[in-house]
Amino acid sequence: MRLPNGVCAAIATAALAAAAPAVPHVSPRVFLDPNEIGKAPITSWPTFNGDYSGERYSTLTQIKPANVNRLAQQWVYKITGVGAQRGAPVPMIKCTPLLVDGVLYITIPNHVWALDARTGNPLWHYGWVDHGGHLVGQRGVGIWKTTVYFLTPDNWLVALNANTGKELWRKNYADARKQYFSTSAPLVVKNHVIVGVGGDAMDMPGFLDSFDPVTGDLQWTWWSTPRKGDPALNTWPNEPASDHGGGMTWMPGTYDPELNLLYWPTGNTNPVFAGQGRPGANLWTEAVVALDPDTGKLKWYFQVSPHDTHDFDNTTAPILFDRVVDGKPHKLLAQAARNGFFVTLDRVTGKYLVVKPYVPLDWSSGLSPQGEPIPIPDKDPTVGGSINIVNASNWPAPAYNPKTGLVYVNSVEGKAIYYLTDDSAQPSGYGGTGDGIGHAQRVLQAIDPLTGDAVWKHAYPNLNNAPTTLGPSILTTASNLLITGDDQKNAIIYSADKGQVLWHHEIGANESGGVITYKLDGKQYIVFGAGDSLYAWSLPQ
Amino acid sequence: MRHPVFRAVVVGVFVVLAEIAISQDEQAGVQEGAQQQVTYQNMTPEQRAAATRAFLGLGPEPDKAAAALGTPLFEQTCAFCHGPQGRGATGSSLLTSDVVLGDDHGEHLVPFLKKGLPEKGMPAFATMSDDELKDIAEFVHMQVEDVANRGTYHVLNILVGNSALGQDYVAAHCMSCHTAKTFAHIGSKFRSPQQLQRGWIWPARPVSSGDSSLAETAAVKTPDGSAITGRVTQVSDFRITVVDQAGKTNVIDRKPGVEVRMKDPLAAHQEMIVTLTNDDMHNVTAYLDTLK
Repeated sequence: MRLPNGVCAAIATAALAAAAPAVPHVSPRVFLDPNEIGKAPITSWPTFNGDYSGERYSTLTQIKPANVNRLAQQWVYKITGVGAQRGAPVPMIKCTPLLVDGVLYITIPNHVWALDARTGNPLWHYGWVDHGGHLVGQRGVGIWKTTVYFLTPDNWLVALNANTGKELWRKNYADARKQYFSTSAPLVVKNHVIVGVGGDAMDMPGFLDSFDPVTGDLQWTWWSTPRKGDPALNTWPNEPASDHGGGMTWMPGTYDPELNLLYWPTGNTNPVFAGQGRPGANLWTEAVVALDPDTGKLKWYFQVSPHDTHDFDNTTAPILFDRVVDGKPHKLLAQAARNGFFVTLDRVTGKYLVVKPYVPLDWSSGLSPQGEPIPIPDKDPTVGGSINIVNASNWPAPAYNPKTGLVYVNSVEGKAIYYLTDDSAQPSGYGGTGDGIGHAQRVLQAIDPLTGDAVWKHAYPNLNNAPTTLGPSILTTASNLLITGDDQKNAIIYSADKGQVLWHHEIGANESGGVITYKLDGKQYIVFGAGDSLYAWSLPQ
Repeated sequence: MRHPVFRAVVVGVFVVLAEIAISQDEQAGVQEGAQQQVTYQNMTPEQRAAATRAFLGLGPEPDKAAAALGTPLFEQTCAFCHGPQGRGATGSSLLTSDVVLGDDHGEHLVPFLKKGLPEKGMPAFATMSDDELKDIAEFVHMQVEDVANRGTYHVLNILVGNSALGQDYVAAHCMSCHTAKTFAHIGSKFRSPQQLQRGWIWPARPVSSGDSSLAETAAVKTPDGSAITGRVTQVSDFRITVVDQAGKTNVIDRKPGVEVRMKDPLAAHQEMIVTLTNDDMHNVTAYLDTLK
């Protein structure tokens, strides 16, 4: 194991201290100023989406269309010694790596590694033994100054020393016995570590917690469904239904520092497929909510799937960007939602500009005055079966490129027969099931967020169905690159403006986590996880 | 684990189940996992339940025998307030109760039931034996299992359509490609009406059992003028694999100048899926189910 630079510094400082009785000052190798997190990521990738916007856009241009054919693999870090976990025969990297001060942080459920970004060699590893929870994925860590935050399957927030991997403290925020589980990456905003939670096997309410980065003390909780006295309760038949209405917060949100607003996507309603026991819109599940990060208070909401009965789990990233509309600058938010609608909102007010299907669908009869898709009751799951779309997107990251002005998403076009398996007046849990039917096609789309129309599309040829729950994330750059992959182990670079394939390379597995890029020692790297391995690419010197 | 092979298969399939509700995508499971001999669709109900339990990290498995003994006891003593399945009536739902979910096999619930919650109007069950209270506890755990473990779910009677209207639909929409022979005895060829419904809408491609009649085919032309036609076993933007009539496997890089024309025998079914109404689907299934 290599000595962290901080250790050398400590030795040097100790030698100096013998000569002069100065206050010993150790400058750690990794230190992340929380004020740096919102800035364009250039020599770091300090938070899940690179910055707070969710654009996953890099201003770096060293790697460009003219030289992509010279890209060369620099190193591969393969996870070994973990073996099968519940739900995964081999480890699968579903995180977005973070890079701070030359150290990469990657995760899988129950495991964190710090890697030397120059070599891919491990600096430290942290292992957790879970007591329950769902080991379906882990999206990565959050970092504040010299502390790394990691969420365990059984809902512990664990604080680690970023330089040593030593545990500083742990805090349990949800009960795995109630089928809450955690896969998310904590979002660090100012002095808040914001933590979401998953779990819809039982009928539990979703929530978002904010913790103090130093002490781990709870600062606030926002519940995804209304409590006693809240007017939003009129979207539920009664209080117990709302108290058990789901709305999990299992993907990281985005943040606008100027407006000081958090934008969080909320998951599916419970019971999942059986909606007959919860007539109403069921706020604030299946929505994008704007919250004050200092208090957890709700500023506005836009419900993308009122009264969902298809697990449309609205957790795809809400991307923040600014555009001139009708001659005036606008602060916008766009989401390629899992229910098949592309949504563009004014992120100051929550008012909609665009709500339009981006995959073929027929489950909605139109929009409400607020712009919310109105579901057709005949498309609800039934005992005899009801045909509807599969999820059009999922957790793999979409992107926005300010140069092209386009939102990019790896969408899925496909259908399933949804059966109601619990037709009682008081259904519980999922209460239904879905059975994919026909071919599910993965389509990369470049969508104009001011119209909702695709400017170009690329259907990935494949005999097999596109898995809706796995799939490559997207990153774009100022040099007109769009970096993603297919479901047949190819990493692919397209031109962002036209969708032309510029480069591809077959790797060991499908790209499975977030794609990042950064400059280190003057060289631009592209780094992503695929299966059990992390790959680093750059141009040869 | 006593069945390592089964376990490997199960976890491979569950990669696909992850993060969606629906076990819809067995083909993708084949793609993701390594050793796929058994798919989720082909498991026994017991295998499904056990696999989903492991996947979700659910608590200990309820004792079925004890739960059966607890059924009449629950009906007599608990159902009036908590409903026949414990989902709540005048009393609260037990399925999401902290006391229930914190209990494995009665170690917390038995003493709790002995005392009751008099301040909330729940009587003490002090005269019942520990065994009886434990059986009640297992019954309640079974109700939780039936909800939380979606591997235990099964469809209800899906034959809800009108058989005569289904016959009309088949006559109007299917006979340009099919003959009556296609549908002869189709109702007895599937394990369940659900499989029948799935099977007529999107037939399986039984390539592995030697029948390639429904396999996708391609005609590939290369710049040097050679032409290859046959069954496609893989296709991406960059490569296509074609097994020709002689049984030879051809792997062709899709370089500039390579032309690929693919044909899917199920293309008409894919089109049908996009527009098929629920009523038509139910009616046809009801009709075909009569063709035993």
